[in-house]
Formats: sequence, structure tokens, C-alpha cells
Amino acid sequence: MAESKIETLVPPVNVCRECDTVYTEVELRRGELARCRNCHAVVARHPHADIDKALAIAISCAILFLIANLTPVIGIEVAGTRTEANIWKAVLSMGGGWTTLSAAVLVVTMLLAPLLQVLLVIWLLSFARFERRSPGFTQVLALLHELRPWSMTEVFLLGSLVAIVKLSNFLPINAGPGVWALGALTIMLAMLGRLDPSSWWALEHPEKP
Amino acid sequence: MMQSVRAVDLGLMTCRVCAQVVGRAMVGAEVRCARCHRVVTARMTGSMEKSLAWLIAGIILYIPANILPVMHTSSVRGNSDSTIIGGILEFWDTGSWDIAALIFLASVAVPVTKFLAIGLLLWTVRWHSTWARHERAKLYKFVEFIGYWSMLDVVVVAITCSLLQFKALASAEPGLGIVFFCSVVVSTMMAARSFDPRLIWDAPGGGA
Repeated sequence: MAESKIETLVPPVNVCRECDTVYTEVELRRGELARCRNCHAVVARHPHADIDKALAIAISCAILFLIANLTPVIGIEVAGTRTEANIWKAVLSMGGGWTTLSAAVLVVTMLLAPLLQVLLVIWLLSFARFERRSPGFTQVLALLHELRPWSMTEVFLLGSLVAIVKLSNFLPINAGPGVWALGALTIMLAMLGRLDPSSWWALEHPEKP
Repeated sequence: MMQSVRAVDLGLMTCRVCAQVVGRAMVGAEVRCARCHRVVTARMTGSMEKSLAWLIAGIILYIPANILPVMHTSSVRGNSDSTIIGGILEFWDTGSWDIAALIFLASVAVPVTKFLAIGLLLWTVRWHSTWARHERAKLYKFVEFIGYWSMLDVVVVAITCSLLQFKALASAEPGLGIVFFCSVVVSTMMAARSFDPRLIWDAPGGGA
């Protein structure tokens, strides 16, 4: 074996990622998680995620994402002209000149990161459900880990609410169906986050009980 | 409280991506994670330097973000440029104190808190401080949690600009300030992500 590929066998321990404290592995029941005694970070979770539940949430997220992006979140009608806003239109309004840089950040945080997150979870779990390891399993989970902090759907929801209050002072503004989809999407994404996809590495060996 | 054992003292390391625990190899050899094949190091490489660089970048960018207008609006009442602070004051003056407070929180309080918090974390780790470790660990988690809410003003400007498109009647366009503000958010998020929280506990006399 090449020197750069040394893989040493290690005792069954859990290590806190935030303070480096070592714990002997504990038996966790479904839904349980172990926190670090020192810094209270999550050290371990029950390794077998509720696949069907997570898959149902992820599919709901995908549908809600579609609705939130295809219907107006906010609409205004002044003198026969109607303007609408949703994630995609907000991104476009930033396009052109230097502000394209902000548009790029918005595309990543409001569109690509949440969408990719949901699609990757669906991909992974559709295989796990039938006790199979999905192609690209390692890359998918590593990418999910990297994407998590950059997904900001809830910020867009709060931003739309602020914009509604702000503009309703002097314009006839109405909330579109998109704002409800966005609200539901925020809740569903939070539920998906709570299942912690970055802890699904145990799904790698689905044949094991 | 029971004395706790740290991975670094047992010659163990944790994979940053998948949390797999791996053993440390002989000096100089590269170790790859058995599960996800990423290179594993005991601590993030150059954590302090990267975090400091992002922090300084964020503080510098925060100056033009506040000076330059974030939005140009033109209406029958005339043209106007608004800065972040200007926008907050306008909400305050028109009686929307709640929105003013919310935008103040997201655009001023959150970034400034992050500058101070990351600065404090870097400073104390630099001098191997054992002061208030538990509180500093909490501060780090707090910084990670509040991080992205600063994007709020960017979203509000983007939505306003996509809605106010009534030509001569009323229209809005994003200003250069919003680009700088967006960069501040990304820089401070990178500064927090580059910081390795385990360094807080690494000073001599370590453990809990």
C-alpha cells in the first residue's frame, strides 16, 4: 500500500468534531442523539435514518420548490401594469453590470443550493429505500455536507415579508401563492435538516441491519 | 467533573467531511479517510491564517458597503439613492420601527457581532488563552448560526427592484453597495467556516 493511503484501524470511538473529546461508542435508539458533555455539539446520531419519512419530506420539498419558483411570491398592479417577484425574478433584477456578482450569490444560495440539496437527498434515498448504495454515494454525501451552510431559503421568505410590509405603505401589493409555497418549503427544509443528511454515512452498508 | 480524553492525545483524527475517526500516520505521511477518501488532518490546515484573512477582507468590504448606495429609486417625486443606514432611518421615520429594527439587526448588528466574535476567537486562540472556553465554544456556534441572516437586505433590495418596474412612475435599481455587502456576508461566513473550533480547547492545560 502506498504511504499516502495509510488507513489505520481505530477503536470504536466517537470524537466530538468541535472540541476533540473522545467518547466510547454508545448504543443509540431510533431518534436518539448523543451530545458532547464538554461543548454540547452533536457527537453521534442513531445511524439508521427513517428513509421513507426523509424521502417523503424531500419529494414535498421538490414540489414546493417548483411552485415557489413558478408562481408569483408578490405581485403589484399599478395603472394596468403588473409586476411580480419570486426567487428567479429577484435574481434577474440584480443582473447587469457589477451587481451581477450579487445575482450570482443569490443564484447559489436561494436556487442552486436548496434545489441540489433536495435532489441529492432524493437520489440517495431512492436507492437506500431498496437497500442499494446509490452511484456516487461518497460524493453525494460530501457535497450535501458542503452545501448545507449555503442554502438560505428562509432568508428569502423573511425578505419577501419585509418587502411586502415595506411596499404596502404606498403601493397596492398582494401576496401570491408563491409565498405560501415558500413558507411550507422553509418548514419542510428545516425538517429535512433535522434528519441531518450529513450523518447518513451508515446507509453505505444498507444490507446490514 | 471527570477528566475527558482528547483525540489529539490518542493519536486519532476526525474526517472533516464524514466524521470518520482515523488513526494518525507517521510524521509527514498523508492520511486519507477510510470512508470518503478525503485527506484527513488533525486540525484544519492554516485555519487561523485563512480565518483572519477572510475577517480582514470582510471588515474592509464593510466600509464601501455602508458608504455606497444599495439602491437607486426614481419616481414622479424624483430620484434618490439609499444606503443601508439611510434605508433603516427611512423605515424608522415613516413609523415602521419593527422593520427598521429587523434590517438593523440583519445588516448592522449581525455583521458587527461577527467581526467582534471571530476577532475575539482568533485573538484568544493566538495567545493560547484558557479563559472562558465553554463560553467561547458557544460563541462560535452562535456565529455559525447567525451568519447567513445578513443576506436579508440583499434579498429585500432584489425583490424591491424586481417589483418597482413602472418606468417613469416608479422604478428601482440595485446599487454598487449591495455587491460589497454581499461580499461581506460571504467573507464572514468563510471566516467562521475556516476557523477550527477545536483550537479553543488546544491550549496547554486542555481538556474540560
